[in-house]
Amino acid sequence: MSVSVESYITDLQKKAERGELLYIGKSLKRIDDLEKVLGSPIYTNDLIPRNTLYAKLVLSKYPHAWIRSLNVSAAASHPGVHLILTYMDVPGINESAAIVPDRPLFAHEKVRSTGDIIAAVVAEKEIRAMEARELVKVEYDPIKPVFDPIEAMGADAPKIHEGGNVAKHIRVAKGNIEAGFNDADIIVENTYRTQFQDAVSMETETAFAIPRDGRILIMGSMQSPHNTQASVAKVLGWPLENVEVIQAVTGGAFGPKSDETPGDVASIAALGALKTGKPVLMSMSRRESMIAHTKRHPSIIKHRTGVKSDGTLTASKVEIYLNGGAYASLGVLVIVRATFHANGPYEIPNVLNDGYKVYTNDTYAGSFRGFGAPQAIFAAESQMDEIARKLNMDPLDLRLMNMLRPGKRTSTGQLMDDSCGLPECVDAVVKSSDYRKKASEYSNQGGKLRRGIGIALLHHGNALGPEGNDYAYVHLSVDKKGRVHLGTGLTEYGTGAISGLAQIASSVLGVPVEYFVIDRPDTDRHKESGPTVASRVTAIGGNASRNAALKLRDRAIAVASKLLECPLSKVKIVDGYAFSEDNPEKMVSWDEIAREAHDASVDLNVIGYYMAPRCSWDDSTGLGSPYNQYTFGAAIAEVEVDIDTGLFKILNYHVAFDVGRAINPKNVIGQIYGGSVQGIGYGIMEELVHINGQVINPNLKDYYIPTSMDIPDKMTPIIVEKQGAMGIYGAKVIAEPPVVLPAPAIRNAILNATGGSVNDLPVTSEKVYKALKH
Amino acid sequence: MGVEDLQIIMAESLKSALKEISENKDATIIANGTDMMPRIRDEGLKVEKILDISALDKELSYINVDSNLIRIGAMTTVSEIGSSNVFNGSLNAFYEVVSKFGGPQIRNRATIGGNICSATSSEDFIPLLMALDASVVLQSVNGKRTLKLNNFVIGKRSVNRRNDEIMVEVQFSKPGDDYLSGFEKIGRRNILIINLINMAIVMSLKQRRVNDVRIALNRVSGKVPGRARLTEGFLNGKEIDGNIISSAREKLAEELKLSSDFRASADYRIHLAQAILEKLLNRFREGV
Amino acid sequence: MSNILISVKVNGTEREVLVEPEDRLIDVLRDDFGLKSPKEGCGTGDCGLCTVIMDGKPILSCITPAFQARGREIVTLEGLNNDPLMKNIETSFRDHHAAQCGFCTPAMEIMGYDLLKKVKKPSKEEVKVAISGTLCRCTGYYDIIDSIYDVGGTE
Repeated sequence: MSVSVESYITDLQKKAERGELLYIGKSLKRIDDLEKVLGSPIYTNDLIPRNTLYAKLVLSKYPHAWIRSLNVSAAASHPGVHLILTYMDVPGINESAAIVPDRPLFAHEKVRSTGDIIAAVVAEKEIRAMEARELVKVEYDPIKPVFDPIEAMGADAPKIHEGGNVAKHIRVAKGNIEAGFNDADIIVENTYRTQFQDAVSMETETAFAIPRDGRILIMGSMQSPHNTQASVAKVLGWPLENVEVIQAVTGGAFGPKSDETPGDVASIAALGALKTGKPVLMSMSRRESMIAHTKRHPSIIKHRTGVKSDGTLTASKVEIYLNGGAYASLGVLVIVRATFHANGPYEIPNVLNDGYKVYTNDTYAGSFRGFGAPQAIFAAESQMDEIARKLNMDPLDLRLMNMLRPGKRTSTGQLMDDSCGLPECVDAVVKSSDYRKKASEYSNQGGKLRRGIGIALLHHGNALGPEGNDYAYVHLSVDKKGRVHLGTGLTEYGTGAISGLAQIASSVLGVPVEYFVIDRPDTDRHKESGPTVASRVTAIGGNASRNAALKLRDRAIAVASKLLECPLSKVKIVDGYAFSEDNPEKMVSWDEIAREAHDASVDLNVIGYYMAPRCSWDDSTGLGSPYNQYTFGAAIAEVEVDIDTGLFKILNYHVAFDVGRAINPKNVIGQIYGGSVQGIGYGIMEELVHINGQVINPNLKDYYIPTSMDIPDKMTPIIVEKQGAMGIYGAKVIAEPPVVLPAPAIRNAILNATGGSVNDLPVTSEKVYKALKH
Repeated sequence: MGVEDLQIIMAESLKSALKEISENKDATIIANGTDMMPRIRDEGLKVEKILDISALDKELSYINVDSNLIRIGAMTTVSEIGSSNVFNGSLNAFYEVVSKFGGPQIRNRATIGGNICSATSSEDFIPLLMALDASVVLQSVNGKRTLKLNNFVIGKRSVNRRNDEIMVEVQFSKPGDDYLSGFEKIGRRNILIINLINMAIVMSLKQRRVNDVRIALNRVSGKVPGRARLTEGFLNGKEIDGNIISSAREKLAEELKLSSDFRASADYRIHLAQAILEKLLNRFREGV
Repeated sequence: MSNILISVKVNGTEREVLVEPEDRLIDVLRDDFGLKSPKEGCGTGDCGLCTVIMDGKPILSCITPAFQARGREIVTLEGLNNDPLMKNIETSFRDHHAAQCGFCTPAMEIMGYDLLKKVKKPSKEEVKVAISGTLCRCTGYYDIIDSIYDVGGTE
């Protein structure tokens, strides 16, 4: 027995040497998934009170029209209907926009897309509301619509908003673009197009509201509860503090739940609840969601690249036109990220990028995992393969020659420091896929089935950068049983990131993560922490969590030093036990520390705060260092194409990301798997089709996301760690980058296999077939 | 007034179902509802009266082989077809249909009768049953009648059912042991798809020559399923080789009159049909 | 509108419930019986998240009319939480981090359970086929496939 006690103590002492990195880099289990695997009632629609009323939306039938009349009387007298809400029922401001105030909650006078909300029917049962909405009579005077973003920029295009159809223009300018083209031996020009992608979080946007003595409680599915609170307060005309928003467990989000739709559903539920005095649930059907929420912007991207015959890039001119649909949304930031990343992860001395987010009469686009990078990198990485083909060069060699490394500069002029792990990522996938051997094998094939291998690289500016102030708060509170309650305005929607914040605090404190309990984010209890977007929870929130835990640790050590009767500086806490360095055999447990703190009136409630250093960006020069650090990635896809039909399958997918430091490697791999498969969907099958402004396939029957039968047989995720300057313990963001690489890697693999270029997404078998026929 | 007046008649036996349909000729019959329910709920289909025959699984779920006649009860589910061993050998294509039909949960509910009566180009059993020259058995209180499937399915969502009848069975002669069958379906992903095109072929070879071939597609003209008679006629009596296959591909293209939609162009659909034809013929040539 | 009284056995208990003609099985399970594990991901039978077991077979409760449940036996995940096989599956999902947002988890677990009841040690391909009618948007399926696969043959 004594032997094992001794070895236990030795073990603790050893662990103590890891200091606050005690549990960092370990694939600890998530602490928030027990209820999920049991199917417990934890999501918004599971939690509604018994007497809840249901709201359903009436959407515009036209993409662009004046509303001549609106008559709700037949609908209002339908059995079971309590209320019809329209713009007339908004006591505050009828405005549901995030940044540019261009979108009313309820359409008034004019509709600009078929996603515009005209009214909401509130009824005793969902089916009654669905029946009644057919009875809402709206007369329209159609206006000429415009659906193509370049056309919409024309002088005589129909005006969708006062002030013109360009919602945002941004320019990146480096060096002298004309001189760069003069230096080039050849110039390669291509146009790339991408499609609407729907996020299809498996849970749609939903919220319910309960009126409470002059206040209102909202519970819903969302990424940013404080933004939802602001939306609801604006619509109600109430002070913020009268609106309490709690984020329920959220069934996937991917970006649209950080944009304007969560505010819409919460505001409608709140208006209904206040008018009826009863709880109201506004839960979007899949059809409502796919029409009315924000999607990934379709784009037209024009590339003109100058290159020397040895492969050196001399100039890159890129024009990006994002089809924003009818409203600005967070899309005015999406275009910024797209334009910064438009040339790919390469050093090019002369750059001129112009990015436009343009209004059209399609349904609106906004925030979605990747935030402009998937479009930009698809075009940039396709262009690299087209250049390689023109030069008769291996696409890998062209990339190795020009790519970012420590000491190189991005298109905005930002210097890459030692944390640039792109070379390591490339090296890892080249080895893992046996690229060189396969590239030579596949260069000479006959027969009907042809194999090909394709590569794509990325850099991804971390967190908000120029998109906003990058800060977060984390609350830690220890109860007398020793449980550590972690609360924050940042949210969990599937990634495990909040569990990761607990892991960081747990590591700093030396208390196992099993002691941690995650509180539901609640605007009454938790400080506003900026939006939960841009994959920023771990990198930014992690610093706040560490700062909170450091404060808490000091207080716990003070308690422990009394109990252990030793100096503060000697106290170590490891695995939930405190001991003195000088006398490790004497220990007190975390439970005892918590109880003693409680009894001795020691406050174990702390708040940690972190704000990232400001980034630099100068609109007037088109230059700057817009992000504190970058994630890097490389992917290699291997495909087999039937050249008779264009049908193909993805045999292997190798992908490496420089994540700085993997706080929980298993969670990192989970993001790489999931993001890659969502990216495969984007690359080869997903397309929300708009015809004359109408969404043709707003359902999962005709909008295809990958099933278990569509994933590559083998996916090889690789973690590279080159620590960044900002993120907690050098961590870089990982939730978004994986979605970016599959589309160009697969497209390039098909080019390699067949010689056919598909320049518009998704790369369907029909497009491959047509590219082969020329 | 919408679906609030929806009337449900629940039949607990075939006998009562026949009586109900004779008295409620305007009723829409639903089996297990896998096709109808989403149409009502999401696509705004208006239905006022439903005759529910789901409880008839007790009587109409069977796969019987009477000498040479295979009889499948209308309420037999896709899973039940998949787990039957009746289709081993020359009717192997049934298993190919099953493995690509919806997802596993749908297969546990979708019935062969519902599949036929829904009569859309996405109903996977229709081409195979057409290739087998199958017949449907329709029953009313006045008795039964048998109708060839190609006379029953007459258009998109249009069948020759008299409004007092219930389809109770599909039947066909079991092809001889010298027959082979195959089914292929292509969509924009590997499962859970609205197919761009599908094709079933039933064929016998004698001394390497085509003795009898029957080819059916989910779309032959517009969105209506049917047989590729021209191609069949061309292939009969021929010895299959590369040249014959490419000529058969041409014949098939000649007789397909397809339309384009957002899922695929007509040209590409025809090309896929040609590729499936080639693939299945090559497979049969190798005796599988 | 005429309501319909049906009897149905739910998680082992005989129940009687008055349903409306338009009610779906998922509505009755969630709203009348408080069983929230079946989720509505699409409402059209295309995502699989509303999966429950009817008469021993997994089916989609969002496209099953409630009146068709009369005389049938329904089991939801709540009714399987004490089943040793399901407990193993749930543990395996946690070990593999296979529940990210968790919204598809109950359906995935039921499909895994149904497979493992039929096939003691399924191949990965068989697992893929078993979950092919159930969509997940977070995991890319790999961790879910591994979770179910690893329970195979453990008994």
